[in-house]
Amino acid sequence: MFSIFGRIDRLSRFGFGLLVFLILLGLIGPYLPLGDPMRIGAGPRLSSPSWLFPFGTDELGRSFLPRVVDGIRATFLLSAVAVIITAIIGTLLGMVAGFFGGVADQVVARGADILFSFPAILAGLLIAAVMGPGQISAIAVISVATLPLFIRVVRSVTLGLASRGFIVAAQVAGASPWRVMIVHILPNIIGAVIVQLTYALSIGMIIESALSFLGLGGQAPYASLGSLLRQGSAYLTFAPWLVLSSGAVLSAAIMAVNLTGDAVRDALEPLKGRSLT
Amino acid sequence: MNNIVSCEDLVITYQSSNGPVRALDGVDLTIAEGETLAIVGESGSGKSTLGMAMGRLLPSEAGREAGRLEVDGMPVFDMARDDLRRLRRDTLGFVFQNPMVALDPTMRIGRQMQRAMGRRARAEDIHALLERGELDDPERVANSFPHQLSGGMAQRVVVAMAIARSPRLLIADEPTASLDASIQDKVIGTLCRLRKESGASLVILSHDVHMIARHADRVAVMYGGRIVEQGTTARVLGAPVHPYTRALLKAAAGHEKPGEWLTPIPGTPPLLTGRCAACSFEPRCSVSRDICRSSRPKPRTVEEREVLCLLAGSEAERKEVAQ
Amino acid sequence: MRDSAIPAPVVDLDRVVVTYGGGLFGRGGFQAVKAISLQIAPGQTVGLVGESGSGKTTLGRVCLGLQPLSSGTMRFCGEAFGALRQRRGQLSVVLQHPEWALNPRLRCGRSVEEPLVILGMPAKERRGRVAAMLENVGLDAGFAERFPGQLSGGQRQRVAIARALITEPRFIVFDEAVSALDVSVQAQVLNLIRELQDRHGFGALFISHDLAATRYISHRIAVMYQGEFVEVAEAARFYGTPEHPYSRKLMATIE
Repeated sequence: MFSIFGRIDRLSRFGFGLLVFLILLGLIGPYLPLGDPMRIGAGPRLSSPSWLFPFGTDELGRSFLPRVVDGIRATFLLSAVAVIITAIIGTLLGMVAGFFGGVADQVVARGADILFSFPAILAGLLIAAVMGPGQISAIAVISVATLPLFIRVVRSVTLGLASRGFIVAAQVAGASPWRVMIVHILPNIIGAVIVQLTYALSIGMIIESALSFLGLGGQAPYASLGSLLRQGSAYLTFAPWLVLSSGAVLSAAIMAVNLTGDAVRDALEPLKGRSLT
Repeated sequence: MNNIVSCEDLVITYQSSNGPVRALDGVDLTIAEGETLAIVGESGSGKSTLGMAMGRLLPSEAGREAGRLEVDGMPVFDMARDDLRRLRRDTLGFVFQNPMVALDPTMRIGRQMQRAMGRRARAEDIHALLERGELDDPERVANSFPHQLSGGMAQRVVVAMAIARSPRLLIADEPTASLDASIQDKVIGTLCRLRKESGASLVILSHDVHMIARHADRVAVMYGGRIVEQGTTARVLGAPVHPYTRALLKAAAGHEKPGEWLTPIPGTPPLLTGRCAACSFEPRCSVSRDICRSSRPKPRTVEEREVLCLLAGSEAERKEVAQ
Repeated sequence: MRDSAIPAPVVDLDRVVVTYGGGLFGRGGFQAVKAISLQIAPGQTVGLVGESGSGKTTLGRVCLGLQPLSSGTMRFCGEAFGALRQRRGQLSVVLQHPEWALNPRLRCGRSVEEPLVILGMPAKERRGRVAAMLENVGLDAGFAERFPGQLSGGQRQRVAIARALITEPRFIVFDEAVSALDVSVQAQVLNLIRELQDRHGFGALFISHDLAATRYISHRIAVMYQGEFVEVAEAARFYGTPEHPYSRKLMATIE
């Protein structure tokens, strides 16, 4: 762990620190003396930031800071759950496609291509229309959008591994395909999956926020950073602090995830450096 | 005859996370104009470091600790950036082990050749150069991407590019190790022919003693970051006097008789962290004495070649060998 | 070059053809292996030399049961080959790149014992066998606890050979198994293979582009060119003058 930390640059360290801070804040927020996010009329409506209400208050007079802290937790939690489920499914599919090849590969790879070419927001509208808006459909949209990321990377890494000596030797020794995949392939692709996980997490947070902003994500009283943004946008001209504070926190969170992702990738693949894309 | 390379007591050290590693531990070497010198050694002997040092193409963690290296009269480690660039461009030509790494996969061969030759090169010049590299159908080759060529053809392209600016010194690091056995000799043949035509010097870094025996004028055997034996190919490979050279030839398949066993060298090569105060081959040597553990051998001339061995040529050593 | 008697073959190829990428009706494909017949007796090593693209690696895959045949038959110890699962422990392989010979995430001991795990041998018995086999290939039993990243190329290739031998297989394919090693390490590994074969009596196919190493370790040598054998002869032949011009061209590289 320390050797990994030693290799990353200052910017990445800042990103990692910010990420840890935001996650901790989201987790222990309810126990901090920030005020009750649900208490209507805690102060005057739409009051500007002050000592008592650092992020101001909303149209119902609720303190906005505790609402943003709650939103951080909601956004991270939903995106993380969605991305981890997707990572497990995508890793399995990618491994099967890369290892077995043939028809299985054709089906999985083409399926990933189709998903990849589908705009996430369009998929979101479609899924929300079918399943109704809510957290489950937000998870489904994130999965659809990030599944190809996992399938593609895992498939190509697996393809590269399949001809390595230790894989061939295990096959010749009579190991079953599942044994080869679990004992030999999985431990060698887990690094690539983790790198992909961080990118997928930032995409997931953007999608979750976008869906909430459009009113297609979780419904009130559930409040993520995206739905706070939506709420604030109605009062943009006379209470800009609502949009500014929730927007700034959302941007910071996504940047923190991305910087951490870069650091993780540099630490796991020190020789490859940063790609141009 | 003038020397294109002269190297005196060159010491090069790599800074690694586990402390310093001394790759070259005092190399003395001269390369004459127009000669073909082979540097033989196993991985870790320092031969690649020495080759790369001639163009100061070492990674940033490597540094010269002591000694002097002159190429074409220029001190490679003490010259301005512009001079160094000019030296690399006009005086040196490099051929590496894997041609597919040396060539840019996104660019057609013709464009890459033009870059190597300079802007004024015309298509005819490029084709002529490819033909000198013994590539039939130069037009097709110039229009190809590297992955469309076989390994042998790609290496010929690299050779052609290396001689594009008529360098005075060609450095070939394991030039045929990645090629098929059936074409290795031809590619080396091309390299040697082009060297002869241009009058340049050629340094071949290799561990393939059969190939070296056929093509080099002189051989330098490296071990533990020093040149332990150097002289004409016939003397060094035909009648080696350093125990390491002898052991290396005995270990290589190819000279044994049917049914005979090869004799591997026991132990492993040294990893130096500083100046070696003794003979670095002593722990693996079959004829070593107490003195080999306590004093560092200096270059001596024995049987018409330079050798770094305290015992070589002595009566006692000859007896051991006879046994 | 080594002497050999000729008992029933471990591997028996009869007019084997492998075609890659043919159309739906098997036309227009590339014939990597063209009607090759070859017998490998127990205790015998057949060397297979040729340039890359000559089909020698494909032929090696055929002998391991990894490559479906387009036509012809492959018999193993006198029987039809069947599925690889049924041949557990009877054959194994050592491949070229030492850096990829072993799973970098497993301790060497785990890698060596894996074929026994697949055979279903109890853990207690396995441990003793692994220690004995490591010693057999000239490695201290302590190597079982190390990761491949801590080993040199020659040591890794020894561990790979230990893994290949742990089930006492009847047949081993060595595909460029010493090509990436230094001269002196090459000699160690070649001698090791010869000694272990004398002790265990496995049949072997030694695939290489290096004729010097191949003739040293083989009883017979097959020279492959564009999917066909152009010459098959006793290894002794390759210390003199082989018949086919292509074989002589290969000979020229080691004189």
